[in-house]
Parts: sequence; C-alpha cells; structure tokens
Amino acid sequence: MTKAAIDKKRKVHFDPDNVDIIVAQGENLLQAAIDAGAHINASCGGAGVCGTCKVLIKEGKVKSTRTEKLSAEEYKHGFRQACQSSIITDLTVSIPVESRLETAVLAREGKEMAAGVQQPETLATGWRFNPPLSKLFVELPPPTLEDNTSDLSRVLRGLKQQYNLDNISVDFGVIKKLAKVLRDGDWKVTITTLMTGTETQSDGEPRLTMINIEPGDTRGKYYSLAFDIGTTGVRAQLLDLKRGRVLAQGVDYNGQISYGADVITRIAYCQKRGGLQRLQKTVVTTMNGIIKELLTQAEVEMEDIGYVVVAGNTTMLQLFLGLEPKYLRLTPYTPVANFMPLVRANYLGLELGEHVYLYALPSVASYVGADIVSGILGTGVHQRKKLTLYVDIGTNGEIVIGNSDWMVTASCSAGPAFEGGGIKHGTIATDGAIEQFDINPSNFEPTISTIGDTKPKGICGSGLINIVAGLLEAGVISQNGKFNTDLHTKRVREGSDGYEYVLSWAPETQISKDIVITEVDIDNLIRAKAAMYAGCQTLIKSVGLTGNNLEQVIIAGAFGSSLDIEKSITIGLFPDIPRDRFIYIGNGSLLGARLTCFSTDMLDEGEKVARMMTNFELSENTTFMNNYIAALFLPHTNADEFPSVSKRLATGEKVN
Amino acid sequence: MTFEIPKTSYSGKIRETTLGTGDKTITIGGETAYPFHLFEGEMPHLPKIAMEVWDCSPEDWAEAALEPFTGVTDDPVAWAKKCIDDYGAEMIALQLISTDPNGLNRGADETAEVVKKVADAIDIPLIVWGTGNEDKDTEVLRKVAEVCQGKNLIIGPVEEGDHKRIGASAIGYNHTVIASTPIDINLAKQLNILLSNLGVPDERLLIDPTVSSIGYGIEYAYSVMERIRMAGLTQQDEKLQFPIICNIAKEVWKTKEVHLANNELNMGDAKKRGILMEAMTAMVLLLAGADVLIMRHPEAIKLVREMIAELTTTK
Repeated sequence: MTKAAIDKKRKVHFDPDNVDIIVAQGENLLQAAIDAGAHINASCGGAGVCGTCKVLIKEGKVKSTRTEKLSAEEYKHGFRQACQSSIITDLTVSIPVESRLETAVLAREGKEMAAGVQQPETLATGWRFNPPLSKLFVELPPPTLEDNTSDLSRVLRGLKQQYNLDNISVDFGVIKKLAKVLRDGDWKVTITTLMTGTETQSDGEPRLTMINIEPGDTRGKYYSLAFDIGTTGVRAQLLDLKRGRVLAQGVDYNGQISYGADVITRIAYCQKRGGLQRLQKTVVTTMNGIIKELLTQAEVEMEDIGYVVVAGNTTMLQLFLGLEPKYLRLTPYTPVANFMPLVRANYLGLELGEHVYLYALPSVASYVGADIVSGILGTGVHQRKKLTLYVDIGTNGEIVIGNSDWMVTASCSAGPAFEGGGIKHGTIATDGAIEQFDINPSNFEPTISTIGDTKPKGICGSGLINIVAGLLEAGVISQNGKFNTDLHTKRVREGSDGYEYVLSWAPETQISKDIVITEVDIDNLIRAKAAMYAGCQTLIKSVGLTGNNLEQVIIAGAFGSSLDIEKSITIGLFPDIPRDRFIYIGNGSLLGARLTCFSTDMLDEGEKVARMMTNFELSENTTFMNNYIAALFLPHTNADEFPSVSKRLATGEKVN
Repeated sequence: MTFEIPKTSYSGKIRETTLGTGDKTITIGGETAYPFHLFEGEMPHLPKIAMEVWDCSPEDWAEAALEPFTGVTDDPVAWAKKCIDDYGAEMIALQLISTDPNGLNRGADETAEVVKKVADAIDIPLIVWGTGNEDKDTEVLRKVAEVCQGKNLIIGPVEEGDHKRIGASAIGYNHTVIASTPIDINLAKQLNILLSNLGVPDERLLIDPTVSSIGYGIEYAYSVMERIRMAGLTQQDEKLQFPIICNIAKEVWKTKEVHLANNELNMGDAKKRGILMEAMTAMVLLLAGADVLIMRHPEAIKLVREMIAELTTTK
C-alpha cells in the first residue's frame, strides 16, 4: 500500500450503535470499532482464531482474509471477521446480535438463587462499622496578634483538643487550599481523614492522613466506591459511609475484552508498543462510565466521594494500575507487589476529586489475587474454626482451604468454558443464553429456558453444566463425554466438528442457525471441571484431609444468580458431599471490597488474610496431573468419590 | 526373638479369566498378592507366554529372531503349529501386520479368513492383535469376531475410540477383549468402566497398559502396572482387578540394539543380545504384574519359563 493511500481518510458507520468514526484507509476494522466505542466481542484479541468478532459489511469494501471461522455461505453474504479486515472505502457495518456485548445479565445478579444457597451478607462477623474514611467537624478560634500560629498548627491543635487526635500526617493538597477554606468557612471546617493499611507503612509512621478540608459542616455527605475488576465484567457499588448502606450498584463489560478474553492474551497484548497504556486507559474508561452512572442513580455529587477500594485478580489489578504484567506469566510467576501502597485515584485517570485515594486489596501470588482475598474476607472464612473450601470459578479458578488457624490456596487454569469461551455456540451469560435444560429420557427432546426468556442465541457457562449433566443422566452421552449414536432421535447427528446434539432448531433461535452442543464443547467443559476438581482435590490432599472433612463449601463466581449445585456435582465439578454444606455467594470479590470501605477492622483483616494464605503452585505438581486425568470422566474415574451420582446414574441406566 | 517378615495385607483379588475353548483352555489371574509374593498370598495360575505369529512374511526381523522359524514365516498356520509342536507354545498371538493401512492394507474379509484358518488349526487359546489404527481395527476385528464366533479369541487392541464397535462384536460373538490405553492408570480404569458399561463381562477383559523394551522407557510401564496391581489388591478398586497382558516382542525386536551385528559397538554376540533383551524385558514386566506375555524367541521364552519356575517352586 502506498503512502498516499494510507493517508486517505475513510468514514465508517457502525449499526446498531449508530456511531461514526473517521479513520485512515487500511486501518483494522476491529480497532476502528473499538475506537468508535462500538461493542464487538473479540475473545482472541484480534488473532483471527475465535470468530467472535463477525460483522456484516452492508456498504463499502474491506480487504479481508477468510479463515475457517466463517462459512463460505456467510462470506458470500458479506460477513467478515472484523479483526481480519482492513478498511478500503467508506463503510456501513452492522454488528450482529451474537457478536455484541450486552450488559443486561451482568446486572441480573442477586435475584433468586438456586436451591440450598444462602445470602452471604452475614457470613463475616465481628466487624465494627468504622470506615477508614472519616469526616471531622472542627470549630477553630480565629487567629489574633496574640495567637498568630500558622493555619495548619491551628487545625492540628483543634483536632487534638476536640478529638484528642495527634500523630496525623497531612497531604500537600490540604495545605494548598487551607488558608482559603478556613476563611471561607469562617473557621468552621470539615476535615476528611483516611486510615491507611499497615502493610506498606514503616513502624511508627502515622496511619491517619488528613486528605481534605472543606468549609462548613459536610459530615452528612461522604461516600466511597467499591470495585471488582473482573476479566470479563467490572462491577461497582456506591456506598454511603454515613449510614453504612449501598446506594447504587452498576456493572459493565471490561472494555479490555476487545483485546482478548483471557488474562494471558491481555498480558501478551501489553508486549506491543503502548499496549499496557492502552489497556490501562480502557479499563479506566469502563470504570468512569460506571461511576457516572452510579452518581446519577444515587444523586450524589462527584466531590463527595472520598475513597475507592478495588479488588480483582492480580493481572487485572496490575493492568489497572499500569504495572508491567509480563512477569506474572513467566516462571517463577512474580507479581510486582502483593500489598499496594495507596495511590491517588485521579493519577490513574479516574474522574474523581484530587484528594481521593484508591486502596487495592492485597493479593497472594500471581494467580491468587485480591479478588480471592476479598472473597475470604467477605465471607469470614478466616474467622471461624469451621473447615471451609472456598472456590472462585472463572477462567482462572482459585481455591482456598482453611479456617481461622490456617489457609492454603492454589489456582488452576480452567480455561474459558465456564464463561462460554471455546464453546461452539458459547456466550457470556447475557440475554438469550441458554441457562436451564431438561431432557425427556424417552424421546430425548429438550426443554430449555434462556436468560431474559428470549429466543436462544447461545449457551452460557451454567447452561453448559446443566446441559452436560442432563445429557449424561439421560444416557445421551457416556461417561467419557462421547455421544451415544444408537439413539432414535434426530437431535444427535454428525456435524462439522463431529457428533453434536441440537438444542434448538434454526427457526427457534435468534441467530437463524441450529444451536448445538458438540463433543468438542463437552470435552472443553470436562477439561475445565477436571482442572477445578483436581485443584481442590490436590489441595485437600496436600493438607492431609478428604472431601468429607469439609464442613462448608463456599462457591463464588461469574455465574451470576444461577448455579445448580446438584448438576455441578453430577458432572464432577464439586465433591459429592451433603448439599447443605454448599453456599453460593455470587461475586465474592465485591463483597470484601464493600466491607473494607465500611470497616477499618476489615482493612487490617484483609492484610492479615493475605499474609495467612500459603500458595501452592499446581502447575508443576505431579499429583495434580494424575488427579486431573482421573477427573477427565463424568463424574470421575473413581466412582467411589461420587457415591450419590454414581448410584443415580446406575439406576438411570436400568430405566433406559 | 524370631524375626518376622513384614507382610502386606491385601483386600482384593485379581479376577480369574479363562481363555480359549475346549480341552486346552487356560486360566489366568486369581492373584491375591503382589507378583511372586507367595509368602503373602496366592498366585494360583502362573503367568503364561503366547508365541507370536505374523499374518505375513516379516521383512525387517533380526537374523536371530527369524532363524527358529525358517520355512514357516510365509504361512501363519504352519508357523503356529511349529510354535506348538517344536517350542511347546501355551498360546498363540497372531499379529495382523498385513492390515496396516500404511503397509499392505489387506482387507477385513481376507484377514478374517486367515485368522479362521489359524484358529481352526490349533487347539490352544488364540490372541488376535490389530495394528492400532482405530478405523481399520474396527473393520477387521469386527469381521474376525464374527467369522470366529464361539472360539473365545482374545481380541485387541480395543481403545477408547473404537471400544464401542469392537466391544459390541466381542460381546455378541463371545470373545475376550484387550483394553488398551497409553501408559496411564486413570485412562486404563476409564476404558474398563466404559467397556463394563457397554456390557463386556468382567471375566472377558484383559488390560494392556502399553509397554516398551528395557532401555526404552520400561520404567513408566512398570510403574503404571505396579500401581494398577496396588489399586486392585490393596485399594479394592474393582475396575482395575483384571489380568494384564503385555505385547513385548514387537517392542524388543524393533530396538536398534537387536539389529546391530556381532560385536558392533562392542556389544557382543547379536543372537545372545537379542534373546537376553527379550528375556530381561519379560522378567521386568512379570515382576510388575504381567499375566500374559507375547514373546518371539524360543530361547528367551525358555529362560523366562525357568525363571518363573524358580520363583514359584518352594524349596
């Protein structure tokens, strides 16, 4: 391509977002969509291998390579992979429903929960409501010729006299506006102080910092934000620190999805020039969007927010903080820091007051992040003698076992199957995702229901678990996850990826294609669940226990409101122990971040939890590999480990 | 105080499996202790050795291995008879080398005819071993199972990918199957479960853990076999209480060492070297728990028989 051609400007219009962008000819179409703010899935980060960024070119021309992810039929109708296309002429591009990011479901959390599941609010106990952020009102005597000490000394003296506070450090930002605020407020002012964590402080340093001063009495208005930065979704809550309440909550997709679905792809993206800065800005843009929405919802002024607490996996936190993530994925897997010093929120690009500090919950290791520390903190596992297994299910599964005396943790790479990744018709849990599944054991006809009760467009993680459990119980697949091809049903057939089961016929769907689950999909789910189960098993065994010793199992994860514990056990994801020991809490990470905003005790406890955890590296553990292979079976190679499931399967087989 | 040998306590027993039909059936398995631990339990049936016969003339055999079978290697029936008459074979293992799609690619019907001829000509149990190509084995072994109905052949390798179709034929025509998996205890157990679910009777199943020659990673095979026996005998793992069969001749006689000439690389007499490698491989696998060995050289077989006798005769 000549220099002249590169310099030519082209206009691209995206539907249904209805946005335009002017870009140089030759620009990548996916990049143009991201820049324009049009939402396109791109699980592989633009490598061309996932096929999720499919778009329809309605007008204009692109230069595009066809990969096997597009059928000849689709190609003929004008479908292209955005990441494989460069812009030649002005374009009108339509983003089809299955390629769009939708936020509907992420927001669905907290509705009804599956059986045997209870609300987590009261799990952590013994904490007092004493937010690290506090506001103090002081009335000071105006200076006179007899008492002409400095403004700052006057404030500090007032704090000492009225609140018996000394040993407080002062931010320079306070000094800058001190003289004006004191006089504007007629020597009646409200001081905002922040209690910091102990871990990044040296001994004897004051823990209390004066971060803001305002004229008059503003004690009624102080708020903070709790964030969970997930690989897929970012969730936040706006908290009223005066009353100890959640005022509003919000959620959005992490904008970084367009650069890759999993942490490894994103770490790899950071190796490109400017990659880290770009990802940092992207997630901050997502967060600013949520903040704006929360402020509107709760009718709160931006200036009244004084504090932000953030949890998330180690990679997400490092990307958000702009820290080089490369060494997280290279052996021996070192994070930059487990305990992050406080950082100013607007230094990171968050649109908040200059005085606002951001606290990142501590992490344990490269793949054992602040999200799990936060979850443990939020559920009070570290407070009780009860032996607890805590499992955070996601692309990177994280596991903790322990109680108030000790805790061990491990992470295992389960792959994206639980979030619908690597599944032919997989989707993140959004409207139209098949969630519930039932099958008639005599004619093998399915009954499905979708999120939002719309026509189906794909299968989400919890749906996948329910489908595989159902197919196994009905004998449609055998214990190795392969289809029984002798059944009298047209739903089991041979497709382009081997045998498959048709969940919905094309006319019943949003995508006008048969929605199927293939043997490859089932294999991917079996691998994901095997990694999770083998991780739990290895960790349990390495501390000399068995599954039956577990008094409580807490499940957290990206499944939103629905996770069927019984079906999860049927496929061998969780140990086969009494169902009343299971608790499903949804997002554990946000829970701990919220409590940290509410309580300085929790701030200290969070650091204690992080120090308590001993990390086990499973990637080089031979027992783990052995357990993993044993778990690559439904429910498991050792039937004795799943007595209730095996019994049910055995009797089921007699019926058929 | 008198010294007492510490003893392992066992809770399981290997299943007894009867191979072949008629007067000359052979029963294997039944162990209640680790191999040759006669001071701890029983080994009611000694390990058996099947002599290898190919269904086509071997082209790349070492001189030493060909010599005992001069004149019969182009006729499987004559070859099998020679094994029985001259070398006292207890079982025959017919290797269906000619069916290899990358070799002669002989068809299922023709092959089944040959198998039938051999089966009719001998009265001892017959093992029929395919090429490991799932599609071809499915086609050939199903035909063999049908044509040789009632002979109680031992058919293998049956792998995860072809277990349903070959397994179903074996059940239908009453043969014994060899469940073959690549050196992993979990995979072995999974295939046994799948075959049981399919309906293969417990007394019609042998495990092939996949083995190799000494010097070629035999320690992996050893360790997997040892663990299979431990699971079956001490951990009541019913799905691993099956006799083990080891197809070692092909492995030993394809190594570089057996093909070197006399004194090449200072490795001494070629014939003695080949025989010893086969005998030593066999002994290692017997100690790991093998119930049936497929072997080639009569002298290696003789050595191994002597060893078995020595280990099992109470003085």
